[in-house]
Amino acid sequence: MERVHSVPQETYTAFSNSIHSKVLEKNIPIDGTIELTQRCNLKCVQCYCCHDPSKRELSYDEICRILDEIAEAGCLWLLITGGEPLLRPDFLDIYMYAKKKGFLITLFTNATLVTPEILDHLSKYPPFSIEVSVYGATKEIYEKITGVTGSFESCMAGIKLILDRKLPLKLKTMAMALNHHEVSQMKEWSEGMGIEFRFDAMLHPKLTGLKDPWDVRLSPEDAVALDGSDQKKLDAWREVCKHPWEPSQNGRLFTCGAGKNSFHIDPYGYLRPCDMMRTFSYDLRKHSFREAWVEMCSAVSVEKAPGDYKCRGCKMTFICNQCPGWGFLENGDIYSISENMCDVAQLRARKFGAGSGNTKGGMSNEEEILSKAQR
Amino acid sequence: MTKVYSKSPDVVFRKIADEFVLVPIRKNAADLESIYALNEVGGRIWELIDGHRTTVEIHKTIADEFDVTPDEAEEDLQNFVKSLAETGSIKES
Ligand code: SF4
Ligand code: SF4
Ligand code: SF4
Repeated sequence: MERVHSVPQETYTAFSNSIHSKVLEKNIPIDGTIELTQRCNLKCVQCYCCHDPSKRELSYDEICRILDEIAEAGCLWLLITGGEPLLRPDFLDIYMYAKKKGFLITLFTNATLVTPEILDHLSKYPPFSIEVSVYGATKEIYEKITGVTGSFESCMAGIKLILDRKLPLKLKTMAMALNHHEVSQMKEWSEGMGIEFRFDAMLHPKLTGLKDPWDVRLSPEDAVALDGSDQKKLDAWREVCKHPWEPSQNGRLFTCGAGKNSFHIDPYGYLRPCDMMRTFSYDLRKHSFREAWVEMCSAVSVEKAPGDYKCRGCKMTFICNQCPGWGFLENGDIYSISENMCDVAQLRARKFGAGSGNTKGGMSNEEEILSKAQR
Repeated sequence: MTKVYSKSPDVVFRKIADEFVLVPIRKNAADLESIYALNEVGGRIWELIDGHRTTVEIHKTIADEFDVTPDEAEEDLQNFVKSLAETGSIKES
């Protein structure tokens, strides 16, 4: 019997890699996400969630049935997220049910609603990880983003409670025009407490396709500059650039695990390949998970990149986050590309040393990006 | 050595593809900071521990089902049961 988590960390990583590689070709849904609600007590400017009051959220019983079915199908890593999952009055019941099924649970929360009672349970039955988004280092910026007075204090109090219980916490932020000058401060504060911190500047539109989050999105130049100013990210990108991998030749549109080993379930019971792909969707109120999963896997696997797909053969694939999910959310079309992502990839290549951005694959070239930025 | 073990309700056994994983779910019950990967024999032993079967019976089944000598089966069983007991995943009943 081999202990694989969490000391030493390498053993866990090796275990995770090994089990992932073993299930890869078998279409086992080992990584799952369940969004308990799209509602939230905060109103972040960049938020992509869209609660639809005309739709009925899954009930506790429906969620338990789904958890039974995904466990049976082989899900091991389960992300519980929202909206704000703690807004559900039955959150603890759902969490405990999932815990007893033996999932390795990651919980995403904004931490403003954690209570000693919730943490009593989480201490006894700990999650694999809790990830809290922090939107600013100061009350002013944090609340400018969340739109709720007093939310900064609630978040800080929540984080303190989680830390007091020694639960496995990670902090992160979405970097945007309103807070990018505070990212390094958030990072120092977090790492000063010994907590892992990460940031991401890639904001996508709302799930309805509305582009509101772009009002606060960083320009490609600022996004790449921010990565460059962070030693850890800089090193990571440089490392990536040292080992560029060739674009895949299999012609598949999806190169990730979505609809292969990973899935997403929304609060209304729809199964999808991932949270960004709202095109393929299967109603779990009408179908068993297994039926829906099999159907979704085959639908995703036959999707080919069309002949004029811009990314076909692009040498920058290894440094680019473009995927059908982004194409879909930005343009309503899974075969399209995110121009912003393309610009970011080109600038990354230039800044982090992957050679000059060549234009293979139809990327817009550097001059074009720079001139756009000057406009 | 004839002993009977039962499983802790605070450890969940997961079989995923051909992999066996033990997930302790409750703090203190076992070494919670860990999850455990079992090999095939370990997975089978875990299935056979039920609060009724004796270690002698389990040994016989393992020696029958796997391509191992009775001595090897004995050693596997002893070691495995020992580590399960140490982590609080099973206890003598
Ligand atoms: S905390 Fe998260 S879910 Fe809530 S409004 Fe902000 S981004 Fe959206
Ligand atoms: S850099 Fe542009 S063309 Fe290349 S993979 Fe990314 S989005 Fe596609
Ligand atoms: S967002 Fe893109 S890369 Fe991520 S899971 Fe969805 S389709 Fe795949």
